[in-house]
Amino acid sequence: MLSTLIWLPIGGATIASFCSAKWARIVAILTSSAILFLHVLLLRQFNLGTGEFQFSENLPWLPNIGLNYTLGVDGLSLPLLVLNALLTWLVLCFDREVKERPRLFYVLILLIHAGLSGAFLALNTLLFLLFYEIELIPLYLVIAIWGSKQKNYAATKFLIFTAVSGILILAGFLGLAWVAPAPKPVFDYQSLRSLSLPVTAQIVLLLLLVAGFAIKAPFVPFHTWLPDTYVESATPVVMILGGVVAKMGTYGLFRFCVGLFPEAWSLLSPWFALWAGLGILYGAVTAIAQKDIKRMVAYSSIGHMSYVLLAAAAVTPLSLVGGIAQMVSHGLILALLFNLVGIIEKKVGTRELDVLNGLLNPLRGFPTVSALLILGGMASAGIPGMVGFIAEFLVFQGSFSKFPLPTLLAILGTGLTAVYFVILLNRTCFGKLDNKTAYYPKVLSSEKLPAFVLTTLIVFLGIQPHWLVTWSETTAQKISSRLPSNAIVQLINLQQQ
Amino acid sequence: MQAWIDTIWLVPLYSLVGAGLSLIWTPSITRKTGPRPAGYVNIFMTFLALLHSTIALVGIWGKSSQLFSLLWFSVEGLDFTFDVEVSALTVGAMVVITGINFLAQIYAVGYMEMDWGWARFYALLAFFEAGMCALSICDSLFFSYVILEILTLGTYLLVGMWYNQSLVVTGARDAFLTKRVGDLLLLMGVVSIFPLAGTWNFHLLADWAEKAEVNPVVITLILLGLLAGPMGKCAQFPLHLWLDEAMEGPLPSTILRNGVVVPTGAWVLIKIHPLLQLSVVAQQVAIAIGAATALGTVLIAIGQIDAKRALSYLVSAYMGLIFMAVGTGSIESAYLLMLSNALGAGLLVMALGSIISNNITQDLTLLGGLWSRRPISGLSFLVGMAGLGALPPFSGFWGLSSLYQSLQASRPGLAVLVLVINALLVFSLVRVFGLVWGGKPKQMTERSVEPLWLMVLPMTVLAGVVLHTPQLWTGMGLISWQSFADSWVLLLSTLVGIGLGAYIYLNEGIAKPIALPSRFIQDFFTYDFYTPQLYKFTVVGLVDIFSRLMYWFDRFFVDGLGNLFGIVTILGGESLKYSTFGQFQLYMLTMLLGVGLLVFLVFRT
Repeated sequence: MLSTLIWLPIGGATIASFCSAKWARIVAILTSSAILFLHVLLLRQFNLGTGEFQFSENLPWLPNIGLNYTLGVDGLSLPLLVLNALLTWLVLCFDREVKERPRLFYVLILLIHAGLSGAFLALNTLLFLLFYEIELIPLYLVIAIWGSKQKNYAATKFLIFTAVSGILILAGFLGLAWVAPAPKPVFDYQSLRSLSLPVTAQIVLLLLLVAGFAIKAPFVPFHTWLPDTYVESATPVVMILGGVVAKMGTYGLFRFCVGLFPEAWSLLSPWFALWAGLGILYGAVTAIAQKDIKRMVAYSSIGHMSYVLLAAAAVTPLSLVGGIAQMVSHGLILALLFNLVGIIEKKVGTRELDVLNGLLNPLRGFPTVSALLILGGMASAGIPGMVGFIAEFLVFQGSFSKFPLPTLLAILGTGLTAVYFVILLNRTCFGKLDNKTAYYPKVLSSEKLPAFVLTTLIVFLGIQPHWLVTWSETTAQKISSRLPSNAIVQLINLQQQ
Repeated sequence: MQAWIDTIWLVPLYSLVGAGLSLIWTPSITRKTGPRPAGYVNIFMTFLALLHSTIALVGIWGKSSQLFSLLWFSVEGLDFTFDVEVSALTVGAMVVITGINFLAQIYAVGYMEMDWGWARFYALLAFFEAGMCALSICDSLFFSYVILEILTLGTYLLVGMWYNQSLVVTGARDAFLTKRVGDLLLLMGVVSIFPLAGTWNFHLLADWAEKAEVNPVVITLILLGLLAGPMGKCAQFPLHLWLDEAMEGPLPSTILRNGVVVPTGAWVLIKIHPLLQLSVVAQQVAIAIGAATALGTVLIAIGQIDAKRALSYLVSAYMGLIFMAVGTGSIESAYLLMLSNALGAGLLVMALGSIISNNITQDLTLLGGLWSRRPISGLSFLVGMAGLGALPPFSGFWGLSSLYQSLQASRPGLAVLVLVINALLVFSLVRVFGLVWGGKPKQMTERSVEPLWLMVLPMTVLAGVVLHTPQLWTGMGLISWQSFADSWVLLLSTLVGIGLGAYIYLNEGIAKPIALPSRFIQDFFTYDFYTPQLYKFTVVGLVDIFSRLMYWFDRFFVDGLGNLFGIVTILGGESLKYSTFGQFQLYMLTMLLGVGLLVFLVFRT
């Protein structure tokens, strides 16, 4: 089952690369629909009662160096897999923006999908890293080929940053494998989890991994690749990039940092929480100063990913569920916002806040797109009734008892989020449309479809969050139960001194 | 009858269905059918809600309240339950909300005759109605926050109804952000009280507060957070500015806003009142804010020449009185004041709206002499005034007298303040009346007739309701003439207000506009204590400068570091390539130096 999720898109990509552009599209649509269907099956068969890995697969590959093809899914990876499948499906089925070299585009998107699924499923640290790095190649290409003006700069920057992140993670995993008291290096996740390492070694390795994943997510101050990359990428690419690819960083944080180094994590978590709180404020404040709507949405992402860091720092079951929910909700909302911003840019021809005006106009503007943009912005600002609120609220409630001050900073951050989204909406949707220049092409309903699908999910999961949180409850309990209690942490602290 | 009570949660859904149905009227369909059907659908749904809640009110009348919970979802042992309290009070609030919205919607049929945005407008009114009805039966702090926050978004959209005017855009923005400040502090309170109390249910919170032992500093901070939400909603100092700017929205929505939307904050405040006993500081803050707002806004109202703004500040003032009432624990008077405000303030907006709608202007200095032409509106305005000010036997008196009496015993200073506020409130209303209906007709008012019956009918119906409210209260045993004997001073203050107002504004002998001897003081009130400027130079300016500074830091320092690294690498490579000049001896020397360094480092110790 799980292997299919990785190899089906690769197979689809292979077939598509031998077809004509028209057939490649059909193959891509069929493959992505099949993948989505498989994920629905996965959701149906997933056992909510256990926090263990399910549907596990294990094939020896290079057992001598400890590299095995081990896959498994639990409540942490499942929501992200489904998000990945959904966004890929939306991009492949409804995208009309990519006119040049469409075949290559479909192939690359399918390969990215496969790489992401592989990374989310891998239960061997080397295998994870393999997928993590391989997926860089198609990503680099989609940014560099279909981006806008400064695409090469952006793609290279993205590549370098992520490669550094990969090196740090590799160093962490190798160190972990060697430190482990075993005859052969250990890369198997399950075995690594049962290790007990000296705290000092844990801290060193943990810091390496955190730095690596912090670049990917990204958290301040490792975020500088993000605005350039997001802004220069084409709309479908940035939907995948912001929607799922960045989630690999936070996924790694939950899976490997919290999962493998419980003692070191609880020692350092107060600092991580503070980092998260400040990062949220930093992201929000810098977003306020933006003059370009795509860049503003890109900056919004910096702060919103830090909520996940806060959730990870607190490691209560509630905060972990909230963190996972926040990954999904951020993926949906960011994809929606980038999609709408992309439509506006395409039709109006500008992204400048000072030029855009009055798009809510029912006759010459884009009333539906603007209405959805208002909804998306408000969802991102954490207005109840939409999925962003409940995810953030669970993070806040879960983290407050452990880290009150960073949580209050985070709540302040949602307030500032509202500030820049109101700026964006006021300039873009409200105001008077200039009758002389407002001869925009119509927005086709096929262009609006992905936005409708995402909006439906955002509202539906906001009204009934049960369907979002239920998947990860037992997994969250399991992760948090491995953490030492406060008394032990204090003891370790004393010993350190 | 019990079936109507058990299904009371349907009431918010009626109007939500109406709002949903309005979505059908997209621009293209509106071009075919016209905008009106969307409005009629919503009026019908609101009527159903009114009917249901009225029948339920009859059913629950005299019975004890019924509590039940609906589980929303539960995660990791944390249950999110929508707790419902069905009592005569909560259902009565629903009747008031649906009733006023029903009248406001009919009024809007007349007022918004020429508007094309009916679907959006009525959907938003229905949205508000649904939110407020849900709030009135809601017995959970968490869901109260959720509803207040959603209504904040509603305010943004409703004020921004006519979004192509620049004042509307800034008004909508300010309304949203100001209320959001309050809501976020409320959220902080909601998040932080749970670990202490273990519940969000208002009844359980009240039980907890009875015997809670908590750190006084912590609980004071939490309570201040909880107070901030109602402060934002009720437009209290220093979050009062939005209500004035919200007047840029359509007038029929102002009926709803002034009457019932703004008091939602006071409703939540009353719900959290049992917690206030945990902190004297929080109580005093509530009283101080209420008193300062009531006095300040009533003075500002006197300085306004915009008819709608002159009324909006009075709502802030009335809410300030409720803050004082809750702070001093006089809950009954808070409820009486709330109902007086719902009916009285709503009626005042209707009466002035009927003038604005066909005299084109809302500038008080351009109006005048309408008594002979617009007596029905004038009478309605006077009834509305009697509904707010302390003029027995009308409804405004009883709430104020109840507050006055409770303060007289405990805090005589505040009781005197209530007298002053009442006098000023009545004075400001007489001022508006004098400027609009008194004097001689001016250019704008020369030809003026009562508007379409669709506006006159709801106005007169509401006037009738205002006039009958005291009778209702007497029937319920809430008021007695005894209290009149105890608070006759209040009547005196009203008479002073009326007398002074009438002397100045119904007197042809005094030239208008009235100028105070000091221009500075007059401007101080007219320009709202210069609060907009204060905001601009403090909070707004700070965020603005700070965000630019951080962005600059982000680009030139954080990003610059990365770019610097890149440039150094490239330059390093570029310059090092010239070291490749093929001289074997130099390569050898470099290697030897390197090895030597290594050997030195290894064997140093």
